[in-house]
Amino acid sequence: MNYSDILASRFRRFVATIIDLVLTPLVGVIVMLVTGLLESAEAYTTMATIGVRALTIGVIAYIVLNGWLLHARGQTVGKAIMKIAIVDTITGKKASLWKLLLLRMWFLPLIFLVALVPWSIIPIIDQAMIFTASRRSVHDWLCGTSVINQVAKP
Amino acid sequence: MIYRHRYFYNSLRAITCLIALVISVNANANVGCENTASQPGLQHRYSDSWGTTFNGQRYQSSSNTSINAENASSLKLQWSYGLSTQAPRSYPLVTEDTIFIGDGGYGLVALDKETGCTRWANTDIKDIESAVVAGEIDGNTVLIFTGRRSGVYAVDAKSGKQIWFSDPKVHPVPYYSGSPMAYKDKVYVPISSFEIALSANPFYGCCTTSGGIMALDIKTGEKLWFTPTVENAGSIVTGRHFLFVEERGPSGAPVWSAPTLDTKRNLLYFGSGENYTKPATQTSDAIFAIDAETGKVVWVKQYTVGDAFNMACTVSADHPNCPTDSGPDLDFGAPPALTTLKSGMDIIVAGQKSGAVFGIKPETGDTIWSTQFGRGGMLGGVHWGIAVDPELEQAYIPISDLPTGESDIAPGQGLYAISSADGSTKWSATLQENCKERSCWPGFSAAITSGPNIVVAGTIDGHLKIYRGTDGELLWSHDTVVDVESVNKIPTRGGTLDAHGPMLAGNQLIVSSGYDSFGQWGGNALLVFSVEEGPTQ
Repeated sequence: MNYSDILASRFRRFVATIIDLVLTPLVGVIVMLVTGLLESAEAYTTMATIGVRALTIGVIAYIVLNGWLLHARGQTVGKAIMKIAIVDTITGKKASLWKLLLLRMWFLPLIFLVALVPWSIIPIIDQAMIFTASRRSVHDWLCGTSVINQVAKP
Repeated sequence: MIYRHRYFYNSLRAITCLIALVISVNANANVGCENTASQPGLQHRYSDSWGTTFNGQRYQSSSNTSINAENASSLKLQWSYGLSTQAPRSYPLVTEDTIFIGDGGYGLVALDKETGCTRWANTDIKDIESAVVAGEIDGNTVLIFTGRRSGVYAVDAKSGKQIWFSDPKVHPVPYYSGSPMAYKDKVYVPISSFEIALSANPFYGCCTTSGGIMALDIKTGEKLWFTPTVENAGSIVTGRHFLFVEERGPSGAPVWSAPTLDTKRNLLYFGSGENYTKPATQTSDAIFAIDAETGKVVWVKQYTVGDAFNMACTVSADHPNCPTDSGPDLDFGAPPALTTLKSGMDIIVAGQKSGAVFGIKPETGDTIWSTQFGRGGMLGGVHWGIAVDPELEQAYIPISDLPTGESDIAPGQGLYAISSADGSTKWSATLQENCKERSCWPGFSAAITSGPNIVVAGTIDGHLKIYRGTDGELLWSHDTVVDVESVNKIPTRGGTLDAHGPMLAGNQLIVSSGYDSFGQWGGNALLVFSVEEGPTQ
């Protein structure tokens, strides 16, 4: 079996990303409802207050759906459905939690920047990297991870 | 090497051209303005408050304006200034030689009254949407105004430098939308709430804030007292949606407009808007009288009962934040006007968005008379402001009747002159659609102003009109929806006449044209018309 057989196909990764892009805001809405962070007038006192609270909701939603699941299972919901997973490129084991939370976290919301020229260049470059031989996006390089088929999951 | 030289010289030429262009643009903006003095004259002010005088009449006497029924037809555009917004919402303060006005997102500017050239500009304050009024601190004239979301400002009239800023946050999301009033040692500030808009967010738990009037120390901006229009706002959980989002009340009754001061009784009068949520209170859509010294409520007279409405209802009646059986949103957006009849009796004249007008006894709040014009609606009826002519003992009532929903009642857009004593109609000038190839509505939404035997009013379709006070004859009309050349050399065009409306000052008539809210026409023209007679002082 060669290296490219282990790596997840671009199509599976794309579909998994789409699923996560839909699910993460939905979880964000649930977090917003449960915590009430954007429910009261106090949340709208200043633009900074709104920003901090919205960011908090986003971080919680990411940790619940992506950060923790990626660390524990190597899979988000999207990746589990598409039967792919991430591993540490060097060790082939679970990715480091701090890297998932501090580095990888920012790239999922960045995808929404695709509608905002010139900022759209950031997610385009990130995603375009999967067309390289290693199929590793910028966030994979930053976290030292690779996306592989589930059968090869540790 | 040759190519390198050519590249260098081409670059140099491009940079030189760019610098020349910048200099030329700046020079154009200042053509004829080089000798404008930076210090404004502050000996004479043409207004004391948004209502021109403290009593909210919006009446300019012949000692303060030379424009009258005899010469109004000779008004000509003297100069115009291009504002930095398509919805100008600042009302000027005018002295013997200077117009102070908020210039949209640009800042506060002091313009030479005769030329429109800029004396000074304070570009630190971006969201001025109130009248600019004047007060005194230690013998110096200060300009006082509000930023809609930011707070209350006092700046030195001579230099434009900020003296104080105040945002006491009487609740988390105040709107400083109404114009303040400075009187002796206090600044009175109307308070409304951003919750009116937040309600459209279904995940927002509507609503917990109250409108009201706040008094500040004129020297420091420190809050002295706040009188809410709704006691214990948001204290009752009235329901829940999406499992978690709590609906609360009572709330609302915002104060959108400037207060009116009764110096004889030391009372402040102001109107309130609708409740945002239920339970509805007895203080919404009401006229208040409060003690001007302490803020204690003296009387409240409600004119529409059970009016609970917010912007969620404009999205859908099924919106979770729209109150069940929502109300018609019939604020008192126009300040009440106090006037003295020839009999010596004082009376308050107040117009509501319903199109109803009331004569009210100042001591008790009892209704003396009432009358109705048109069908009213969310955007008036009477929207921004009426005017009174104490000499003719009559009030002028502008009716918008801008369609905001289905109604079986015929609209009555136009201007009505009524007796201040009994509310009887003296004359009316109803308006028909007159927009040629443009789609619009001809009603009067903006506040109006009156002068010696004249009343000045601007229509939603952009026409500024002057009627004779005694019989309603149209004396002058000017279509402001045109491109004009501005003193500051930016593209300038008029639009809908709305919001604070016109001002009479000396031999000039001043108005901001353009208002792109509610699907109306944007515009950025500050227009200054004048008659040939010299300034009156």
